[in-house]
Amino acid sequence: MDKPALDFGADFPSLLRRQGLLGPPAPIVNTRTEIVPTESTTILAFKFADGVLVAGDRRATSGNTVVYDRADKVLEIDRRSIMAIAGVPATAWEMARVLEHSFQFFRRTQLQEMSVDGKVRALSKLLRDNFGFALQGIGVVVPIFATFEASASPSARLYFYDAMGAQFEATDFAATGSGSPAVRGILYYENTWGEKPLQKISEDEAVVVALRALDTAAEADTATGGIDRHAKIFPVMKVVGAGGIRTLPEEKIAELFHKRVE
Amino acid sequence: MIEEPYRWVEAIATRRDYIEMQLATGSPVVAVGYAEGILLFTVGQQKLFEIYDRIALGAIGHPGDIERLRMAAIELASTEGFTRSAADVSLRRLAYYSLSPVMKNAFEQIYGAPFLARLLFVEIGAAPADDLFLEVEYDGAINLRSTNEGNRPFAVLAATKKSAEQMAEFLRKQFRSGKNLAETLDLALDSWVIGQLKADDAVPGEDEIRRQRRERLGNGTISAAVLERNANTAVRYRALEANELAPLIAK
Repeated sequence: MDKPALDFGADFPSLLRRQGLLGPPAPIVNTRTEIVPTESTTILAFKFADGVLVAGDRRATSGNTVVYDRADKVLEIDRRSIMAIAGVPATAWEMARVLEHSFQFFRRTQLQEMSVDGKVRALSKLLRDNFGFALQGIGVVVPIFATFEASASPSARLYFYDAMGAQFEATDFAATGSGSPAVRGILYYENTWGEKPLQKISEDEAVVVALRALDTAAEADTATGGIDRHAKIFPVMKVVGAGGIRTLPEEKIAELFHKRVE
Repeated sequence: MIEEPYRWVEAIATRRDYIEMQLATGSPVVAVGYAEGILLFTVGQQKLFEIYDRIALGAIGHPGDIERLRMAAIELASTEGFTRSAADVSLRRLAYYSLSPVMKNAFEQIYGAPFLARLLFVEIGAAPADDLFLEVEYDGAINLRSTNEGNRPFAVLAATKKSAEQMAEFLRKQFRSGKNLAETLDLALDSWVIGQLKADDAVPGEDEIRRQRRERLGNGTISAAVLERNANTAVRYRALEANELAPLIAK
């Protein structure tokens, strides 16, 4: 309860730091070593007719080893925002947790929802604080952030980041991770020369595009799980739209996969 | 002056009178359980608040003091929920181990300022039997409205002890489990009307209460919020919209 007299008291990370529950920003040490690219995964997001679809493969790797084949890299941050992560899981999940609590904490203490710009900036700041670890090659995180606000124009908003925390708003689609060059190619192609631009396609069509893109990424990138046909493990897909966030059921993804992808 | 024990007791009694006087104009707050959750209800400025996923607060008193206690409760709950999990954030721990000792301390340190506030906390559980309704006094005392049949699913805050008792008595008689939200809003408004009675007024009959609703409501704005038991999201708190309150105002 003792804090400077004039303080909104709305910043959750600084509350955690005051109580010793969150470490200080990582020091920036110039080690002059090569940055090891550790964001071995593929996540993608694009706007479609009803909102934004965010998808991620499920493989987690350490060097050449597959350590986990059911990782969930697409995370709900609040009722209207999704964060998808490429990078070191420990750092990424901790960031998602801090972010989730920050938004809730802001709403509860300030009695208003944090603005989209405020949310986008909050993630940017976490990345910036982590940059020292990214430089040392032990904590690179490159996320995608998607949100939907019915009253705003455009309603669907999509952002991608670099490891230093710079945020870029995507007009149609975004992809990060080691498999992203292939995905970016596919999404660009679909959006430009496909039957319809991505923003006009239905949810089912969007799922098919995402499945094909992830399958293509997995073809050349060992760190991307794509679709595991033997163990029947499908990518995680979430949609954020006017009705909030929905996790697409695995049965639906499987059905579309068998009908239109396989 | 307070070296002598008698002086200290006298100072505390004076302080009690002073605080009661400061709280004497507060608009009552009611919390009642209903079929799908818990309703919080009051009339006037904003004083129903979300504390954490399953915990809500109603308060009367000085806005500055309410704000300090509210912030303390949110900070405690949020850091606990962050470091452990949302399931570890419990109202019982929050009220008994954290807030009550701090409020008692502030009240008894007679050279410092006490909290000019009464608080009402509710927590929604997996089943109605797990719900918790607490009233926390400015001196840190916690009231549970318990009876031989267990704790009752309601709590009230009023400007005076007498009013609070009258409201509780009314709810004790009128409360039935399994009511829907509209019926419970009716009940909450009635008990709010009773909480507005002058100290020596007797509790009026049902028709009289209905008649008084309109004049007592005046231009006041109803504010109501619910904690929903079976919401699909972790956050159970939701402020009621104007269209949900419209039928109540029309009557």
